[in-house]
Formats: sequence, C-alpha cells, structure tokens
Amino acid sequence: MTGRPASPATEAPPLLDIENLTVGFHTGTEDASMPLQGVNLRVPHASRMSLVGESGSGKSLTASAVIGMLPEGAEILRGSIRLGGEDLIGAPKRRLRDLRGRQIAIMFQNPRASLNPVLTVGGQIAEVIRTHSDAGRRESHRRAVDLLDQMGVPDARRRAGDYVHQYSGGMAQRAALAMALSCQPDLLIADEPTTGLDATLQQQVLELVVEQVSDRGASLLLITHDIAIARQTCERTAVMYAGRVMESGPTASVTSSPANPYTTALLRAFATVDEGRMYAIPGTVPTLFGPLAECPFASRCPEAGDVCRDGVPELRAIEDREVACVKA
Amino acid sequence: MHLAVYVLRRLAYMLVALFGVSLVAFVVTRLLPGNPAYMIVGEMADESTVIAVTERLGLNLPIHEQYFRYIQQLASGDLGDSWRTRNPVTTDIGSRWPATIELGSAALILALAWSVPLGIVSALRRHSISDRLANALSGFGVSIPEFFLGMILLLVFFATLEWAPPALGRTLGDVPPHTTGLYTVDAVLAGDWEAFKAAAVQMILPAVTLAVTVGAPMVRVTRGFMRETMASHHIRSARALGVPERSIVLRHALPNVLLPVSTMGAIMYGYLLGGTVLVEFVFARPGIGKYAIDSISESDFAPVLAAVLLSALSYLVVYLVMDILHFVIDPRTRT
Repeated sequence: MTGRPASPATEAPPLLDIENLTVGFHTGTEDASMPLQGVNLRVPHASRMSLVGESGSGKSLTASAVIGMLPEGAEILRGSIRLGGEDLIGAPKRRLRDLRGRQIAIMFQNPRASLNPVLTVGGQIAEVIRTHSDAGRRESHRRAVDLLDQMGVPDARRRAGDYVHQYSGGMAQRAALAMALSCQPDLLIADEPTTGLDATLQQQVLELVVEQVSDRGASLLLITHDIAIARQTCERTAVMYAGRVMESGPTASVTSSPANPYTTALLRAFATVDEGRMYAIPGTVPTLFGPLAECPFASRCPEAGDVCRDGVPELRAIEDREVACVKA
Repeated sequence: MHLAVYVLRRLAYMLVALFGVSLVAFVVTRLLPGNPAYMIVGEMADESTVIAVTERLGLNLPIHEQYFRYIQQLASGDLGDSWRTRNPVTTDIGSRWPATIELGSAALILALAWSVPLGIVSALRRHSISDRLANALSGFGVSIPEFFLGMILLLVFFATLEWAPPALGRTLGDVPPHTTGLYTVDAVLAGDWEAFKAAAVQMILPAVTLAVTVGAPMVRVTRGFMRETMASHHIRSARALGVPERSIVLRHALPNVLLPVSTMGAIMYGYLLGGTVLVEFVFARPGIGKYAIDSISESDFAPVLAAVLLSALSYLVVYLVMDILHFVIDPRTRT
C-alpha cells in the first residue's frame, strides 16, 4: 500500500503531505482495530481542502494524527506525515508541541466546551501567544483583543475579560478562531466548526474562517460531513470512507461528476434529502479489524465486480483528480 | 449578584436552618425516656423534692412552652446549664470546643496535604506507582474505623516504639495563657515553644488518625475530578495549540478541580468541627464530641442541644465561607 500517483509537475510541494497513514489501536492481537487504512492526502500552500465523509470514516482521527494527539491506545503503524517537508511522526514531543499553535492550529466543534470555563477568553488567547512568542503579558493581551476584534467580536476590549459562559455559541466560535489563528499558523484544521450553530450563524462563521485563512495566506483543512459546506468553502475536496481517501480533487468536479461510486452514493444520499426522500447507501460500513483485503466499498457498491475484491485499490490520478477505484 | 446581598441572603437561610435543627433536637431530647430531675436530686430524694426540681426546670410544662422558653434563652446567648458539670453550658463549651477546633483544623490541613496532591498526581499518571499508592491508601483509609486506627497508632508509636507521649488530654506541659483557646496557637502567640511542643505532640497521633480517614475519600474525589477535567474538550484544545503541560495542569485543570474538591473539604471540616467522638475518646481529648456523649448518657439536655446546634452551625459557617470563596474563584457563579 505504498504506491501513490505522481504529482503533476506544475504543483508546488504541498504544505501538508500525508502518505499511507495507517493507525491502529493496539490490543495485542493480530486483528487490532485499524481505523485508518493508508490515508493519502495533500494540502497545498494557501489552499482550502475539505475532508468529507460519514461519521467513523476517520476524518477526525486523521486530524488528531497530524497534530500528534492520537487518543490513548492508538498508534501510527505505517505511513508518514510531513509539514513543509518536516517529518512529524518521528519528531520529538517537544518539537510537536512547538509546532502546535504556531504552524498547525486546530479548532474543534463545540467552541464553548473548548474554552476553559474559569479563565477569561482573552487570557486564554494571550497565553497561546505568549507560548509561541516573546510577547509579554501586556503585549499578548493587546494582541488578543486585536484578534477578537478582527474576528468580529463587538466591544473586544471588554469581551476579552469575559468568560466563555458569557459568550453565545457564535461568539465563542469566533473566539476559538481568534485563538487558533493567534500565532499565524500555516495550516488551520477546522473539525466540524459549525456543528451546533444555526444556519445563519453557520454561514457567518464559515465566511469568517475562509476570509481570515485567506487573508493570512494560510491553508485550511476543513473536516465536515456536510458536502454543502465543502462546496461553499473549499476549492478541493477529499472524500473519506472506512479509513481511506476514496477520491480527491477540485470540489466542483468531485461533487458534480464523481469518479468513485462511493462519492456518487454519498452525493445521492445528500441530494435526496433535499427532495424529501431519504436515500441510504445499502449495507453497512465494514468493521476495520486488521488490514483491508479488498475495496472497502465493494460489498455495497452497485458496480463492484471480482476485480474489486483482488486488493485494496490505490489512489491514482485520473484527469483532474485522484480516485481509488479500479473501475474508474 | 453582589457579594454582600448574597452573604446576607445566606445568613438568613442559616438562621432558618438553625431554627429547624434546634426544633428537631429539642423534641428528640425531650422524647427520651427518663426524668432528668432524678439525675439531679439522686435516687434517694423524696417525691416533693423531685417535683420541685421538675418545676424549677420547667419540665412539667407542655413541650411547646418548654421550646419557647429555650428559644428565648438562646436569643439572649444563654445555652442553659449542665446539671452534670453544674456549669453554664457556654462555659463548658468555651473550654472544650477549642480542643475540637484545634484537632479538626490540624487534621484537615494534614488531610488536604496528602490527599489532594496524591489525587492529582495519580490522575495524571494512570497505573503508575502513585496511582497504585492512591488506591491502596484511600482503600485503607475508607475501610478502617477511626478508633481502630487510633488504637493501632497508639500501640505502635506509644506502647512499642515509645516515640509518642501517652494519650492523656491536650498537653502534658504548661497550659499557655488563654487567647484563642487553641493551645498551640496560644503558645505561639506567647512565644512559649515548650508549651507549643507539649500541645503539638499530643495532637500528632489523633490528627494523623483523622487525616487518614478524612483524606481517603478526598483522594478519590480529587483523582476522579482531575481525570475528568484532563479529558475535557478545553484541555484538548489548549494542548492542541501548544500550551505547555505545566500550564495545562496548574493553570487550566487545577482551578476546575479545586472547586469540587474544596466543597468536599468543607464537608469534611464541618464534620471534624462537630466533634469526633471516637477519636476524642481513644486519645482522651476533652472535645465537644466527648462532652456531647457524656451528656447524652446522663440525660443532660442542655449540653446535648448545644452540641447539636454547634455542629450544625459549624457546617453552615464552613459552607458559607466555602461558597463565598467559590463566588470569588468561579466566574460562573458571579453572573
């Protein structure tokens, strides 16, 4: 599972380069749970990439692996993660901690829970700034207020001294974004940033994220289960299923003319919700114990044939994208 | 809400609570069988003497009138007289409660000193030696009765090793001049180190006994809350932005843990201040718990009621102080 398509010559070396990332939970047996089965994903500099997939497809786990914060018991079995050419998997803990916040920042869903209830919002942002720079207490607080202001928090100077329980969901997400962007990271990972916000707020927050990331020349890796959000915010999209990237390419073409039958099925499931009927992909997601032996979608795929069961299809370049399907 | 308003409201609640406690305690003591008049005059007294004493004490009146008289008495700061010690109860308590406060405070400080750090460290390093130690010690402390631990300590440190002095009251040295009634504090205030040593040495074993049993559940509570906090979203977020582990533990997690742990500490302190009968007995310390038990066995109502009220008051005051403290620490209570 090491093969990967060659990058087109015109493409610059990517900011984030995940290759064949395989993560397992060590249970001591051969059939350990392996939620990531060789993920290949590249995020170019100053770009916006969405990672789309159902719950359990491995999106968030991929993000956790990138920031070096896998859950307890999980372990990277194979593969590499490179940020600007630097190998993150072999990097010492200290180095990873230094990178977190300064080069890679992440914001999670449920912003109100991701801010500390007993520390002021401004104080938390200021601490991140102090962690990664020589700024003193006063200077870091001034910058924290500036950031809140840039994120559209009204009356930022006063609000910086407030606690998260005094913030609404939308304001808390703005504060979380301010904190994530406080040290000018090259890559912002946003894990379902708008889950739990109402539609209007969702729109505002997404626009803000896109605007702020673009203004800073940073890249965005947006994790979402909602294709509509991917369409709206990101020029590129990668579709994940059962711990693998099934298809990746320009969002417009991936979502309008999918090349992988899984993408087609996922889009159909989305589209038919709008028409008032539900379409569910038949069958169930395979349980990921031990390495996959065949295409993970083979058992549910309308186009599957014997060739699909001969091995796990690798991502290969087809026209403007990469597809992991032997039939494509 | 303004702090002053909050405190005033709490003080009003406190009065209501004390009123309720006094009512229940009063009724219960009056329902106990046995006429205390016999205790006072002795078994050989004749009928008319008994009746005279009963009337003098007001014990022939209907119970609600007795209660009413008691409350009036209370309002003027009079807790009644003990017919066992023949002293006003306020005098008896004045000499006994400081012993309880002194021991309870020492025990609480010791309990906090071992249980909270151990709880935190064991939460941070699951399955480590400190985690196992926390399990063993808290299991031991929760399961062993106080008086039994006290006896074991006496057996080992007094009878066998002869490191500890005999358990004979609060001090074997000079009693320092009275300021607070706490011998150790008074000795320090008087600059008398001999007296301080004599009083402190008498306190070590009982304080350790109580610190083990009171600290044991606190280890578990601290460890539980610390684990929960360390697994929370805001800790993960702070880590994900590179905040150093030292700050994660001390600045981000600890305040969230100290809120519930301090509540637990307050409950324990309230318990300790109400008098710890068995430990006072084992170490022959004249505290409020021993006073209450001695009084109960002799149908001496006034001291029993006073001890119950005092115990309730200690709880209420400790809780109030705790809540004021939370009001200051926890921003969520302020809005």
